[in-house]
This record gives sequence, C-alpha cells and structure tokens, in this order.
Amino acid sequence: MNIRVYRYNPDTDSRPRMQDYVVSTAQGMMLRDALLAIKAQDESFSFRHSCGEGVCGSDAVNANGRNVLACITPISELRTPIIVRPLPGRPVIRDLVVDLTQFYEQYRAVKPYLIRHDPLPEQEIPQTPAERDQLDGLYECILCACCSTACPSFWWNPDKFHGPAALLQAWRFLADSRDQATEARLNALEGPYKLFRCHSIMNCVEVCPKDLNPTRAIGQIKALMLEQGL
Amino acid sequence: MSRHASGLMAWLMQRATAVYLALAALYLLWFVSVDPPADHAALVAWISQPLVRLGVLLAVSLLVAHSWVGVRNVLMDYIHPLWLRLALLLLGGGLVLASGLWLMWVVMVAGV
Repeated sequence: MNIRVYRYNPDTDSRPRMQDYVVSTAQGMMLRDALLAIKAQDESFSFRHSCGEGVCGSDAVNANGRNVLACITPISELRTPIIVRPLPGRPVIRDLVVDLTQFYEQYRAVKPYLIRHDPLPEQEIPQTPAERDQLDGLYECILCACCSTACPSFWWNPDKFHGPAALLQAWRFLADSRDQATEARLNALEGPYKLFRCHSIMNCVEVCPKDLNPTRAIGQIKALMLEQGL
Repeated sequence: MSRHASGLMAWLMQRATAVYLALAALYLLWFVSVDPPADHAALVAWISQPLVRLGVLLAVSLLVAHSWVGVRNVLMDYIHPLWLRLALLLLGGGLVLASGLWLMWVVMVAGV
C-alpha cells in the first residue's frame, strides 16, 4: 500500500515536502499501524501516539483531508495513496507533530473544573439521574484537537476564539448542576470573539472521533446567555 | 449587563432580522413569479400601497442591520491588521448604510 506523508523539520528543511512510502498491509490494520511501519523503515519520521485505542487523543492527524485519530481509522476505509498531513492550521514542530499550545490555552481559559461558592460538603455532591444526563455527550471529550483544528474560525483567530473543544467544555461546566459560577462563566464568554466567532460551520461535528456535537453545545451556551441576559 | 456587548446582540440581531428577511424574500419571490407587475406604473402602484410600502421599508432597514453584522463578521474573521480592518469596516459600513438609505428613499418617493 502506498502512503504519502508530510515531512518537515523546521531546523534543517527550508520547506515541507511529501514523502512516499510503501507499507505492507494486514487484516484490521489501522492508520497508526501504517505510521508505525513507516517509523520502522525511517526512524527520522515523527508522530505522536500513545494508547492506540482512541482514548488518549494523541495521534490526531489529517488523513486524505480529514482530521482523524490514526489508531481507530482502518486503512481499508481510506483511498490510496493515503495522504497524511499534520492537523491543519497549527505550527509544525516536526513532521506530523504540531504545537497545540494555543489549543490548550483556550481550554484553560474556560476554567474546565467545578467552581463552588458554598463550602464543600463532607461527602460527594449528589446529582439526580436527570442532572447527570445533562453531561452525556460533553464529558467524553479526549481533547484530541480534531475539531478545533478543522474549524475555519479557529484557523483565522486561534488566539481569540476559544474553538469547539474548549466551548464544549465551557458548556459541560455550565450544564453541571454542581457548578455555581454560571454568571461568571457567561460573562467570561462575552464579546465578539471567544464564543461568537462560531458560525455553525459544523466541521467540528463532522470530524469528532467521539461523535460529540460542539455546535449544539455552543447553541446551548447562546440560548442560556439569552435566557439570563435579556 | 456587560454581556449585552457586541457578541450576543450582534448574533441576536442577525438571527432575528433573518426571520423577517426570509419571509419577505419568500413573499417577493411569490409576487414576481405568480403575479408580476406588467410595467413600471404597475410596480409603482403596488409599492404605493401603505402596507407594502411599510413592509418593504422595514425589510430594507432590517437588511441594513443584517448586512452590517455580516460585513463585520467577515472582516473580523479574515482581516487582522487594525488599520486595514478599520478602513474596510468604514468602507463596508458606509456602503451598506448608503445603499440602505438610497433604497429607502426610492421606496418612499415611489408614486408620490
């Protein structure tokens, strides 16, 4: 099988190039296995990976123009030659390894943790099953960055727009019955950039390897803003 | 209260105006396809009806608001140098406003 990968070492190369490799296939082979086979042929090739089963979110790459987790993408589903590039719009550190600093900064900015003003109880804070259900489809995010790096609004304003991954988490804590910082969280999202650069393009929904829906979460934040602000 | 700033209000304005504009566009489409005016005089007679004139004037003013948010969104997305964005915002805003005012004037003086 032919596979063409993006190669770039900013320290030594003047420009990126695409390099072709031939990899032998096996039953049930995933894209990550193919990348590992390339690594075995050419150890100068770099990419991130860890758990190999779609849980850690390390090996997000752009395969044939679509952001995927390499470890759960069967090569049989990809047209050959498979063209593998780094996640779009991020600075390349080396080959398929990109700098996700801004992505993490936007995540940090939404304060992705419970904020309580009441004294913490001795035991856990109980939720009804219905309250717990509000978090389904939100907490499962593994921060692989497939969504935010597929979002044109994040490409143009990665320093100001939070991006779908961070906004999904913003809603995850707004929707949590145990959180007590709704007003502060909504105030922090005000202005034309952090939330409102989302134009419901829905690339995030299209590529999410966990089938989550950041666009819906963003809509729910806007609805809550309206409810509390008007 | 500060949440009412440029983000939420602009988004709400675009959504709310879109509802009226979509209905107005459907009506106009129906009007020109089912019962088109025979000549200029018929068009003027149509727009001179108080309800039609009011509806069209409202549509034009909402169109100005809607386009301004759209122009602003595009420029905020793509144009990052401050001086260029300011210049284009002024130009875009001026064009939207001038076209809107001209259109409103035309509708108001038709048949008068």
